[in-house]
Amino acid sequence: MVKEECKALLDALNKVTACYRHMVLTIGGTSDSQNLREELKKTRQKAQELAVANRNKLTTVLKDKTVSKEDKAEFERLWVIFSTCLEILEIDMRRALELGHEFPLNVPKKHLIQTGMSGGTSGVAARAMSVQNMKYEAEHNIDVVDLKDLENEINQVGEMMYEMEMKVNVPQWTVEAKQDPGAELKSTISVGASSIGMISVEENKSFCDISKVLAGIIFAAVLIIAIVLAVCVVKLS
Amino acid sequence: MERMIVSMQDPDMGIKMRNQRLLITVIPHAMTGNDIVEWLIQKYGISEEESLHLGNLIVKHGYIYPLKDPRSLVLRADESPYRFQTPYFWTSTKWPATELDYAIYLAKKNIRKQGDLVEHEKDNYNLLHKRINHTWDFVVMQAREQLRAAKQRRKGDRIVIDCQEQAYWLVNRPPPGALNVLEQGPERRNCHTTQVQLTQNMDYYKREIEYCRKAMARTRVKSSICLEGYIKFSEQYMPHDPIMSGCLPSNPWITDDTTYWAMNAPTVPTPTKLRVERWGFNFRELLTDPLGRAQFLDSLKKEFSAENLSFWEACEELRYGEQSRIPEIVDSIYQQFLAPGATRWVNIDSNTMGRTLEGIKTPHRYVMDDAQMHIYMLMKKDSYPRFLKSELYKNLLAEAVIPPETKKRVFPFMRKQRHSSPSPALFLSAGDAEERSRGPMAAPVPEEES
Repeated sequence: MVKEECKALLDALNKVTACYRHMVLTIGGTSDSQNLREELKKTRQKAQELAVANRNKLTTVLKDKTVSKEDKAEFERLWVIFSTCLEILEIDMRRALELGHEFPLNVPKKHLIQTGMSGGTSGVAARAMSVQNMKYEAEHNIDVVDLKDLENEINQVGEMMYEMEMKVNVPQWTVEAKQDPGAELKSTISVGASSIGMISVEENKSFCDISKVLAGIIFAAVLIIAIVLAVCVVKLS
Repeated sequence: MERMIVSMQDPDMGIKMRNQRLLITVIPHAMTGNDIVEWLIQKYGISEEESLHLGNLIVKHGYIYPLKDPRSLVLRADESPYRFQTPYFWTSTKWPATELDYAIYLAKKNIRKQGDLVEHEKDNYNLLHKRINHTWDFVVMQAREQLRAAKQRRKGDRIVIDCQEQAYWLVNRPPPGALNVLEQGPERRNCHTTQVQLTQNMDYYKREIEYCRKAMARTRVKSSICLEGYIKFSEQYMPHDPIMSGCLPSNPWITDDTTYWAMNAPTVPTPTKLRVERWGFNFRELLTDPLGRAQFLDSLKKEFSAENLSFWEACEELRYGEQSRIPEIVDSIYQQFLAPGATRWVNIDSNTMGRTLEGIKTPHRYVMDDAQMHIYMLMKKDSYPRFLKSELYKNLLAEAVIPPETKKRVFPFMRKQRHSSPSPALFLSAGDAEERSRGPMAAPVPEEES
């Protein structure tokens, strides 16, 4: 019961971390904007709340002496996953800070890198916050204002990790993964995989065939028209 | 490189962007290799070759990636398309690519390609599974989540993100046999300071003040004085340096003639002239040369102060000898040199003697340091100048040998050409002189013959 709760919390944290990483990728590119910065801020705060909740739950369980051996092993595994997740979050936050400093948005001569992205990240943010649509209500210069908060939050996360290390004594090397290599292939998101697979296949073909494909389409269209005309002529005569 | 990339983005002065057309999607912000090369030529006023090389460096470091043939990170100055890499993936020594990230990337690729990874990626995958086994569950979870998050974006963006990641990992984990552009020497990874200072609070400023204070209090020598000393040293030692002034008879590494080493061995009956001259430079040179030390000992024996040198040698043995033998050596030194009425009593002033005797009660490696230094200075100031003025030394100088330069063989087809190797430093300046003198040289020779 407690295990399921812990797992659910951890999954949520995992999801938010993945979305955060996704959004930090786009800082400095052409789809960067004030909205992105606000999304980053909200996601980050949500991630922190989840992290604190996770930590509290896991520490109470790990400190509990009445837990059985297998359960304890399971909780240690969850703990290791949690601490790795937090590490990744901290690294991403630091990078976000640095990139935020390098690419301020309100300067007259903006120099965002033209990375080829044109869409926004609102979908990702909505997924992270578990809402349907994102509402943007921040001020105009959130990119600069937010950096100070970001610094403080990085420090907080750092302190939390340090405390965690000190309080709970879980040696990482004793934890064994449950999944074998290649486990992710077994229960993949089939729709997602096939569509993204198709994109890469498309990519490979497209560069060579683009003109050929156009020519083929035109030829096919002409052929179809010719056949249709012939059929009409035959029918009418 | 980053500033260059940023200046390329300038809407007026930067590179003109085109659109990349895939089957259905159009992705903006592509440029041709030609564009890049031309822009570099224009902006920096360099030749085409240099601009190609520069562009190649940028691509190899991962700031721009090719779209058509992503596995070869080369800049081609033709119509092949390229695109900029997002700042998150810029090559930086501050954020080295971690094993965890690589594992997540491989897991994602595994899912996307349904297990069809490249050979070296498969190996890396298995290796990582063993190495970071404890967080493997996290890797799988995170890989799945990142793919799900990516689905929330437009198709064009998804393609771009895939390309970006692929390019990033090609730079950071190149396939075996490819050039690893990130191979850095041991010094270069030492980036402890970040550009952004996190909370410049009291401690940070206190540390800075301490550091500056200590830096101001350091004793400094005027560079004019330093350089004078340096010049004097160089002038004095230049004739003795085999690279600067050639070495007689010949450089063994070039002519395979080991006479040079044989003549300068630690113990030879007749030392070379250069060697004997060197003993006159300073006392340390004399002592470090075994032959010189032996000669010095002879001269000290004539003056009845040989025990000084023996004492010094014994102290050296104590300092650099075995730890287990220390009490034994200290005792023997005491018996031989320091005890009242010893056979070879050395003359040390009373203060030092007192301190040494105290120290002997708890013997350690450096207990004789004061006494040794005292005796060393005594020898240096007193016996050494006398040695240099003595008959013994002058005879040595007179008898010293200058090894003859081995003659060039007349027959060119002899296997071993033994000739003195000219110093390479002189070779460059002599080269011009040779060419100039070759003209008039031809003239005097027939004159002589006639």
